[in-house]
Amino acid sequence: MNYVRPIILVIVFSLFLIPTFPYTGQAYEDTQCFQCHTSAKKLIEITREIAETRPAQQSSETEGEG
Amino acid sequence: MEPLAPHEKIFVDMDILDDENHGGIACHECHGGNPDDPNWKTAHKGVKRDPTYPDATAACGDCHDEISEHYQKSLHATLKPYESVIGKRCNSKGVIGEKVEGAMGAHCSQCHSSCGQCHISRPDSVGGGFLESHFFKRKPPMQEVCTACHGSRIGKEYLGEHEGTSPSVHRQKYMSCDKCHTGEEMHGDGKEYANRFEVENRPSCVDCHESIYDKKAKNVITHRIHKDKTSCHVCHSQPYNNCASCHVGKDKNGLAFYKTKASWFTFKIGLNPLRSEKRPEKFVTLRHVPVHSETFDFYMKDALKNFNAVPTWKVATPHNIQLKTPQNASCNACHGNESLFLLDKDVEGKEKAANKGVIVPANLIPREQKWQPK
Repeated sequence: MNYVRPIILVIVFSLFLIPTFPYTGQAYEDTQCFQCHTSAKKLIEITREIAETRPAQQSSETEGEG
Repeated sequence: MEPLAPHEKIFVDMDILDDENHGGIACHECHGGNPDDPNWKTAHKGVKRDPTYPDATAACGDCHDEISEHYQKSLHATLKPYESVIGKRCNSKGVIGEKVEGAMGAHCSQCHSSCGQCHISRPDSVGGGFLESHFFKRKPPMQEVCTACHGSRIGKEYLGEHEGTSPSVHRQKYMSCDKCHTGEEMHGDGKEYANRFEVENRPSCVDCHESIYDKKAKNVITHRIHKDKTSCHVCHSQPYNNCASCHVGKDKNGLAFYKTKASWFTFKIGLNPLRSEKRPEKFVTLRHVPVHSETFDFYMKDALKNFNAVPTWKVATPHNIQLKTPQNASCNACHGNESLFLLDKDVEGKEKAANKGVIVPANLIPREQKWQPK
């Protein structure tokens, strides 16, 4: 039974080596989505561009409380 | 609620990657689009702004399976009360039914909510925008989510923002909406209800104030006398906001709009139109709701031809509760006090028929009391 303790130790230590979640955050940092949406400067430029071309979203005829 | 700059609405904090539950999910897995395309215009092709609506299970169901399935039938998703009440007033299929349904799609159904529009962003109906970057908020913030939609009546009542009223006693004790309206209630229990009064796990005052009928409780006599006769709000609400009229249409650019008349403040006790075993009270507080027989005239004349099928004074649960109110100052502050009751003279002529069941006839107004509890 001398081999039981080392086996248990190996199993316990290996649990620490297994990631708890398929965490791939590092890879997502490189996507265009992340590059842009985490940059206030880029978002300001784009939202200004959108505002110039996009027609009004809400009617100015709305009156009263909703 | 502070408005957000356009870029703030969609700014994502890098720290989202540290979210142990959601940080490992790539943007495009929920939102679609092309994560490798450097051109934002083409990259956003096919992007879903809110991937949790209309199907909550698509983005959230893998992990939150029960909640997202139940949510599909919750009132925040189905907006069933609109459908059932307007359906009764319209009571017509065919062309009229289709036109009204189309009008409701353009106006009423914009007020739905979704997983994303409570836990990640402000609701679309109030302009959207992330609550805090794209972090997932387990508990939706009250003023940016709950009262952002339920604002002109519930929110202002609760916060005491109407002139001459105080914040609810619950607000004064720093309670937020979720203290009474739990996640379980908001997410639904998988059953489809016609309105909030039917919801089985909706909050009730006695959930917390369970001892009010106990022998040694304060005001036990008053509470016992009025048990099942009046709702708690009849004695403990302050005056509240009432709305009138509502006309919907589309402007020359095709954008939907609504027009309501100026709201007004009042407190009216009426007969309970929803009397049941669970809600046995004879008297309840009533609120005038924003509807008019010509609400949908832009889409079709006389679409609400059965307008009188449902009262325009609806059961109200004002959220401005106070322990002491003018009407509970003494027995005769209410008993015999006609001004507190919804009488025939308080209802507009063309709405009298609709409200026949809730108007209090003179002979049902509780009589003045000579006896006073000690």
